[in-house]
Amino acid sequence: MEKVLEVKGLSKQYSKVLAADKVSFDIGKGEIFALIGPNGAGKTTTIRMISTLLTPTDGDAIVNGHSVLKEPEKVRQSITYLPDEAGAYKNMTGKKYLRFMAGLFSTDIDTINGYVERAEKMCGLGERLNDKIGSYSRGMIRKLLLSRAVMTKPALAILDEPTSGLDVLNAIEIRKMIKKLAAEEGMSFLLSSHNMLEIEFVSDRVGIISKGHLHVTGSADELKERYNAANLEEVFERVVKGNEVL
Amino acid sequence: MKFFNLLKKELAELLNVQTIISLVVAMSLLMLMGNVMTNTIEEAVKQEYTVTLCDRDKTDFTADMLETLRGYGAKINEVTDASEDYAKLLDNSGKESLVIIPEGFSEAVEKGEAPQLISIARMKSAAMMSNMSNTNSGAESLIKKAISDVFSQQAGLSPEDVTLINNPVKINSHTVISDKSAEVSTDMVMSKVMMQNMILPVIVFVLIMMTSQGLMSGISNEKIDKTLETLLSAPVSRTAILGSKMLAATIVAMLQAVLFMVGFSSMMSGATEGATADIANTIAAEIMPLDQALDKLGLTLGVGDYILVGIQLFLTIMICLCLSLVLGSLVNDAKQTQTMIMPLMFGAMIPYMISMLADINTLPIAVRIFVYAIPFTHTFSAIPNLMFDNMTIFLIGLAYQTVVFAVCMFFALRLFKSDKILTTSLNFGQKSKYKKATKSED
Repeated sequence: MEKVLEVKGLSKQYSKVLAADKVSFDIGKGEIFALIGPNGAGKTTTIRMISTLLTPTDGDAIVNGHSVLKEPEKVRQSITYLPDEAGAYKNMTGKKYLRFMAGLFSTDIDTINGYVERAEKMCGLGERLNDKIGSYSRGMIRKLLLSRAVMTKPALAILDEPTSGLDVLNAIEIRKMIKKLAAEEGMSFLLSSHNMLEIEFVSDRVGIISKGHLHVTGSADELKERYNAANLEEVFERVVKGNEVL
Repeated sequence: MKFFNLLKKELAELLNVQTIISLVVAMSLLMLMGNVMTNTIEEAVKQEYTVTLCDRDKTDFTADMLETLRGYGAKINEVTDASEDYAKLLDNSGKESLVIIPEGFSEAVEKGEAPQLISIARMKSAAMMSNMSNTNSGAESLIKKAISDVFSQQAGLSPEDVTLINNPVKINSHTVISDKSAEVSTDMVMSKVMMQNMILPVIVFVLIMMTSQGLMSGISNEKIDKTLETLLSAPVSRTAILGSKMLAATIVAMLQAVLFMVGFSSMMSGATEGATADIANTIAAEIMPLDQALDKLGLTLGVGDYILVGIQLFLTIMICLCLSLVLGSLVNDAKQTQTMIMPLMFGAMIPYMISMLADINTLPIAVRIFVYAIPFTHTFSAIPNLMFDNMTIFLIGLAYQTVVFAVCMFFALRLFKSDKILTTSLNFGQKSKYKKATKSED
């Protein structure tokens, strides 16, 4: 399978804390990969390094053939990043926000119009796109941001807790959207989440991370079999506790 | 193209409806205050030549005196009321001040004694300009002059003799500034120069407060809402993101500077016109006209001077923006934004207050070093330094501000280009979310 992301021994040291320790994994074209782990496990740090927001202390990540260390600007052409609990500019209308963000990815008017049109269709907000974002519900903002993250058809969309704080129906809708984009358009996704049920449903492969170490990667079925567990939650518990004992 | 996209967004964020409304309201208020000041001063000037009198002596002498007052150009309003309750007397007459000529006034003058005059004025407020038109000073001086003329005639003195008695010494005032001198009193120069120099410090202070508040809120909101992370992960350079923020804030600051300049000038013109008119009345014919004197003393600024002041104001705004950017990046939540503005507020307030009350160059050396170390000080003292030929201090200040700006810009750029823009924060004794999470794992 063609690789969209290759993470090679990424490490991040904050003054006294090693937030990520030699994290390595890869993601193929059209694959949905999820990083799962407790709070402070190093998920967001790893995601931020791949998104070129943080500079790794050691290691490298290759996105669509470009190194995050040597060619961060080219990496940013190939990715989009949706932070956990991100907001948007409250004084802008939904439409203006989409146009502004599209303008950061292209300078060609036709391309920009194409991105905006695609995002408008995907978010399903209809006429509400003409209203200011300040008047949107949390679910509406998340849908707007998610459609923004995929409107440019990036090689890799990085979504940190994509359904956090959403009600069940909105969360289901977003999961379906992610699966559809991966299957139909070959878009690759790197997700992070606490929600094991969501991960089991949406991802092709998962990586379990705690205290900065990526302990194990594999599909949900593989891991359940390997750890003789009924679900991903049990796998997670055994991996994390097993490594604490060690 | 991408830069203009960012710039457009930053301008829209800074120049939102609320900002525009507050600017329009501020401008309107300043202009309104200007009108109020002009009207109050005009009213006070008119009042100088309006005499409200209650003649209770009713003699031929007082009737002649009123005619004399009319001869001086005064408009006489006569009130007839015998009430000894002065508040009621003012109420009944519908006036705020009046002068009573009591019984026995003419008799005292005839005897060559100083007659008694009762002056009543209502005080309605402690505000500086509120009682300007409620005084009898004009009426009192006109009556004094009239009685003085009577006494002079009684003593067989000519008006020239009276003038000589009142002004036995002719003072020929000269003011010296640096190596220039002009035949004008220091008090007059001071009044005029103070009025002229009042506007710039106010504008600098307001600008520092408004621009820092706007940019700091903008950057901290971006950090809190995580829109900054989204921007930084987009295919656009961090220098362009920082540049667009700085340029938008500078454009808005300059726009505010122009608007406030117009507003404050309008407000101050009322007071300045009044004071200048007052000074003009006091100047004797043989003394050099004030504007000419100021010109001779080098106290009028030329185009070059205004350009230098403009450069210094620009540097102040840029330093303020860089500091706001750095401080805004340290903010964790909206409440902290208010706290983080404090250093800038004090940085502007200290030189503002000191420059209003004292000449910084005459302060003790330790205090002077402290005040001049605040980069904003040099803009507050720019006009006085240029006027009083302190070019060395002015140029050192300009060089110091340039260095401070370069250092601040360097740190702002470094912060923006490093991980610290996302990881640094001030917690004021609280543990950061990251540290809390790490601790809970242990």
